[in-house]
Amino acid sequence: MDLSRPTLAATALAAALFSVAALAEEAPSTKAKVDFGRDVRPILSENCFVCHGFDAQKREAGLRLDTHEGVLETLESGDAAVVPGNLEDSGLIFRVEVDDDEMVMPPPKSGKKLTAEEIDVLKRWVAEGAPWGGHWAFEPVAKVEPPRTEDASWSRGPVDSFLLARMEEEGLKPSPEAEPTALLRRVTLDLTGLPPTIAEVDGFLAAVDAVGLGAAYEKAVDRLLDSPRYGEHMARYWLDAARYGDTHGLHLDNFREMWPYREWVIRAFNANKPFDEFVVEQLAGDLLPNPSTDQLIATGFNRCHVSTAEGGSIVEEVYTRNVTDQVDTDGTVFLGMSVGCARCHDHKFDPITQKEYYQFFAFFNNIDGPAMDGNASRWQPFLVTPTDEQTERIKAMDAKIVESKAGLDAEVKRLAASYDPGIDEGLSEDVVPEDYVWIDDGPPAGATSREAGEFVDAAADRPVKSGRRSLRVQAAGLTQNVIETTGPKLKTGAGDVLFAHVHLDPANPPREVMLQWKIGGQWARRAYWGENLVGFGKDGGVERLRIGDLPARGEWVRLEVPTAKLEIAPGTRIEGWAFTLYDGVAHFDASGLRTGTAQEGRAYPNLTAWIRDRKADGGAGLAEDVKAIIAKPRDQRSVEERRRLIDLFLTAGWSQTDEAVTKARDELAKAEEARRKLDGELSTTLIFRERPGEPKPAFVLHRGEYDQPTDRVTRAVPAFLPPMPSDAPADRLGLARWLVMPENPLTARVAVNRFWQQVFGAGIVKTSEDFGTQGERPSHPELLDWLAATFQEEGWDVKAMMKRLVSSSAYRQSTKASPEALAKDPDDRLLTRGPRFRLDAETLRDQALYVGGVLVEELGGASVKPPQPSGLWEAVAYGDSNTKNFKADEGAGKVHRRSVYTFWKRTSPPPQMTTLDAPSRESCTVRRERTNTPLQALLLLNEDQYVEASRALAQRALREGGSTADGRLTRMFRLAVGRAPKASELAELTAALDDFAAHYADKPDQAKALIEIGASSPDPAIEPRELAAWTMIGNVILNLDEVLTKG
Amino acid sequence: MDPIREHAQVETRRSFFGRSGVLSLGAAALAEMLAREAMAFPGADASAKLPSATGGLAGLPHFPPTAKRAIYLHMNGGPSQLDLFDYKPKMDALFDTDLPESIRNGQRLTTMTSGQARFPVAPSKYKFARHGQSGMWVSELLPHTAKIVDEIALIQTTWTEAINHDPAVTYICTGNQLPGRPSLGSWLSYGLGTMNQDLPSFVVMTPSWSSKGSPQAIYNRLWGAGFLPSKYQGVALRANGDPVLFLSNPSGVDAAVRRRSLDAINRINQAEYDSFADPETQARIAQYEMAFRMQTSVPELIDISNEPRHVLDMYGPDVHKPGTFARCALLARRLAERDVRFVQLFHRGWDQHGNMANELPVQCRDVDQASAALVMDLKQRGLLDDTLVIWGGEFGRTIYCQGALSRENYGRDHHPKAFPIWMAGGGVKAGYVHGETDDFGYNVVRDPVHIHDMNATILHCMGIDNNRFSVKFQGQDARMTGFVEQYPVKQILA
Repeated sequence: MDLSRPTLAATALAAALFSVAALAEEAPSTKAKVDFGRDVRPILSENCFVCHGFDAQKREAGLRLDTHEGVLETLESGDAAVVPGNLEDSGLIFRVEVDDDEMVMPPPKSGKKLTAEEIDVLKRWVAEGAPWGGHWAFEPVAKVEPPRTEDASWSRGPVDSFLLARMEEEGLKPSPEAEPTALLRRVTLDLTGLPPTIAEVDGFLAAVDAVGLGAAYEKAVDRLLDSPRYGEHMARYWLDAARYGDTHGLHLDNFREMWPYREWVIRAFNANKPFDEFVVEQLAGDLLPNPSTDQLIATGFNRCHVSTAEGGSIVEEVYTRNVTDQVDTDGTVFLGMSVGCARCHDHKFDPITQKEYYQFFAFFNNIDGPAMDGNASRWQPFLVTPTDEQTERIKAMDAKIVESKAGLDAEVKRLAASYDPGIDEGLSEDVVPEDYVWIDDGPPAGATSREAGEFVDAAADRPVKSGRRSLRVQAAGLTQNVIETTGPKLKTGAGDVLFAHVHLDPANPPREVMLQWKIGGQWARRAYWGENLVGFGKDGGVERLRIGDLPARGEWVRLEVPTAKLEIAPGTRIEGWAFTLYDGVAHFDASGLRTGTAQEGRAYPNLTAWIRDRKADGGAGLAEDVKAIIAKPRDQRSVEERRRLIDLFLTAGWSQTDEAVTKARDELAKAEEARRKLDGELSTTLIFRERPGEPKPAFVLHRGEYDQPTDRVTRAVPAFLPPMPSDAPADRLGLARWLVMPENPLTARVAVNRFWQQVFGAGIVKTSEDFGTQGERPSHPELLDWLAATFQEEGWDVKAMMKRLVSSSAYRQSTKASPEALAKDPDDRLLTRGPRFRLDAETLRDQALYVGGVLVEELGGASVKPPQPSGLWEAVAYGDSNTKNFKADEGAGKVHRRSVYTFWKRTSPPPQMTTLDAPSRESCTVRRERTNTPLQALLLLNEDQYVEASRALAQRALREGGSTADGRLTRMFRLAVGRAPKASELAELTAALDDFAAHYADKPDQAKALIEIGASSPDPAIEPRELAAWTMIGNVILNLDEVLTKG
Repeated sequence: MDPIREHAQVETRRSFFGRSGVLSLGAAALAEMLAREAMAFPGADASAKLPSATGGLAGLPHFPPTAKRAIYLHMNGGPSQLDLFDYKPKMDALFDTDLPESIRNGQRLTTMTSGQARFPVAPSKYKFARHGQSGMWVSELLPHTAKIVDEIALIQTTWTEAINHDPAVTYICTGNQLPGRPSLGSWLSYGLGTMNQDLPSFVVMTPSWSSKGSPQAIYNRLWGAGFLPSKYQGVALRANGDPVLFLSNPSGVDAAVRRRSLDAINRINQAEYDSFADPETQARIAQYEMAFRMQTSVPELIDISNEPRHVLDMYGPDVHKPGTFARCALLARRLAERDVRFVQLFHRGWDQHGNMANELPVQCRDVDQASAALVMDLKQRGLLDDTLVIWGGEFGRTIYCQGALSRENYGRDHHPKAFPIWMAGGGVKAGYVHGETDDFGYNVVRDPVHIHDMNATILHCMGIDNNRFSVKFQGQDARMTGFVEQYPVKQILA
């Protein structure tokens, strides 16, 4: 697959690995003095620090080379690594030069070897007195005046001055300005993630003519920064860093509802929220005074990490991983530091001790929620975030509830007059098991009786035990009466006894009597008396248990079966009862359960009986204050409390309640149920919140193992950075404010570097994730500092920063590469030409849909699922996962949304995205790779939505491009890239069109198949064979290098 | 296949549109790039017979490899070593007795069994016998594997720290329990480059399985590229739909139309290159051409109609069904034949917490015959000498029973402290058993092999010194085998 030459990114990666990147740093010329930070420290860091660095545990021979003292110190051997100005006595110089595998440094087994140039640098450094200096990124940001340049006309501001000065040093020259059309396309893609329309291009060109390029361009930039598309585009990069996803990411990888956070990010960029506030709200919005809903939503940043509820997981281990992910992500995103390296041991390269790691860890070690996600979309702590429409519905529903309550109250008041509280006197509220008769004169409420048997009125030969009727079953062989209910069930408790009264016909007694119960849809519990003739279930167990001989004939006998004997667990709900005979006649009556458990749907003769049941079921469903009243002894209840209970009893259980009350009660129940249902539908989002009380203690974990805590630590920031102000709170809010205080040397540098990377393709510090000593040094250190300082001075104004970058002359150059520039600076780190690279996955898809005129633009909302090839989720998912089966959304309103809204299943992300280097979002990514593969070609040529976009583009061209092929081809080309095609391009497209037309002329079936691909329908006004040929032209255009590239 | 010649053939075949004077741009770009790649690949050791590869790192392989390619048969869920390879005859007498505390030794358990009142010994119900010249013990569940014991090196004592599926499988596949690291295959592609110009260098298959319990999940990250460029990630070869994502032309677009459209795209792109001189443009032309070749090479790869009867029979009747392990194993051989660097199969369903008696045999039936057939098929073709085959899961299972225990049926929890992996071909010692566990199969008593050592051994066979194979990631020299030095297990090597 790696047929290509390695891509730019890969080349650079390799270069960074195996040599000192040539142009990223000024090569030390033989005349210039050695610069310690630029020339020496990288050599020491790369080759020496692992064994002679910051980590005291791993320090060899007591020698440390990461401090000036260490370098100069006289070791036990009597030697010093460096004696300034003295090459002969400097052990370091001897050891790097010696021709002996045992002695030479670095040791051959490390795989590292110094080059002759590196040795030369070290020697000159020692000869020049071995001066020392701190690592650039940890030094305060220093704003220096932009340099003067020989060419005074090119620069549009400090950014350009810094860049041009460096070019002049290298003997290079900038490129001419790009064509206005190309420039507008570039900046439109960079600020909104979509290309300009033809009208925008034409308008821009007219404005250029009218007011000049400078003014026209500035106006265009302002227009783009005001577009809501700007926020959607900027959010994408941040969501990679925040590792945002729509699933938990581990094991079951179930759905996680988090999109309100994504929407917050989009809103924040569109509102141009100052970046310092953006940081503070995400890290600690919950700790701000009276936090707003938005500030709480923002804290979702720290909840985006992957999570699990895998069976067997150890809670503390999972908890530790969650916090670790938060710490590592924050380190990368805000500090540009790989703090995670200090989790198991002191950092090898950067001055972060293991203890400091856990002091940082301690800030996050106190979340008010469980470690495991429970496989639920809502995982504590979370916030309910209703949409505007839902808020309206909630209001209406709440009003309805109030209204229904008032109606009920009125009815209850009326009814209360007819209840005599005197009847409760002398009755005990103590819960004791009592007979609850379930089946008496007929089947219970909501139940039916079927098969044989009927409820008969009392008569001479028809005995009745209680009430008016009994159940008569007359059998010849196996006969039964079956009662099943969809209404209230019989609820069992511990120690309950099932009972039934039976009267056997003295003349014609049955040979066997059996009772059966239905539980969980199964008739699998049976008890019988007499012979063993009914062959149901497995004999001898709970499925067919013999209790005893047949009872006496001609009298009422009570049959009893303890539920425990049938292994019916407490809490079971019995949904059916069968009375079974083998031969003979029997009457059954007053069947039920001896229980202390409250029964569903029960009506009570008096308040006391009702209170007994409420005590028995723990007041299930009642308000807390009512429970408290019930718990009190009767004589301690106030008049109002007693009144309250009576009111409830009258509506909820009095056997004499009338229909008006029942109706009012049901109405209220319905209103409350609807509200509950809506609550379940409301969108939610995970947030961060502190546990109440003392913070959870944090410890240094030996080797990073959750089960090996050693020293207890308190919250603190690493010592190599400025301390937190003494009055700052020792919590996340204090930490967040520390990150954005002016003295912090990293946050602003790291942030502007990422904006730079976004626009120019590579950061000024190319390793945008690592500003430590192992990271690449900035190509333009003064420029980076100037930008960082200005960013802060301007109030962390992101739009102003973006505007500054895209307004520079450097940005506005042509991307055409001269052979000289290519040879000297293949990756364009010196910006002698404009930025040119392949567009990201999201931009490519959005662009295709947009130029085809089918992109549905709607800001925010829940994630959507455009179609993807079938079987991708199924191929990997856990059997019980709720994201096991992919079902595409339907309708353009969902499948044609911008890609930032595409549902991201982290264990199987959308291939339309990942094929083009989008990350899986399982971990923090601040820099995407940019590859060039055949799989990308297959995607862009063949994927349904790209084909659909090709057809949509063709339709537009046919509709809008006049009647000639030239006009239509030109239109289509311009829709895609802004400019008109050159004659040679037009000729190429015309020839292809002719060939496609000839091909489809006699293949109507193929033509039809092609144009029907996608969620939208082909334009019926266009002849299918013609549309097919044009669709292929669309397909060609959407695959042109110029379309796929920001140039 | 010579890609340039192949491209020329395509060009001459394309008489459809009858245009003359077509510039063969793709071929030109290709030729130039191959030339550049060849220069960039000096080879580490002139004496080593290196496969011709493109796109790898300079200096790799570090030494002559014993395997040019590897096929990794991953049994996801944790197969029960106690019922397959690790014969523990003394357990029979200890049926339903408590696992001695001296054996468990306070080791942490998953929370699935840590609450159990007792840990009763569950002896295997399956018969074991010695097989082959080597006399290796194998259970009756793997009759076909038993026939190839003299080809394999069996490591009884692989171990890991992870005790749950997600972290454990992520660990063994990427060298780290947390997501975000490159997988073994992507490391190999990145380091060694590709030997085939028409197919991906790292191919993954996820065959069907037979156990009925809810299967453990797998994740794209298991064949992902982590922090390496995404072009090194494994390409899934699918049994349904397009074998490679988006491989087929859209409905209504035949090969001739595709060819014609590519000619237009490439010519306009070439003109673009002529004015802007961006090397990426040229690379893009070549990638579009390779995409076109894949549209032929992949269908040809998966078309098994010309496989002889006796070969199909070796793999068993399942081979006739797309998506089965047997079919995937056969495709793995076809991929190896085409010099695809790394092929990995993920067979799921090996997580027998209970119902071992019904679930384990069907799982074994899925893979036993085809795994053995793959080894023998490679051998018969002379490919086994330089192809490494690896078979194993992410951890093993406990000797003590989880859930209800009887002589006939039982369950086993996860056991990370010892589990088997076997390897064949590519420079490993055939007919060799490495390491030994105690009578309970619980602790290693001789020669433990950490999964990092295991991966170091695989890299070693591929000619890579794992300690010298790193990528700078967040300032660290990130390696497949972790931060601390790890070494291949020399005893396993031939």
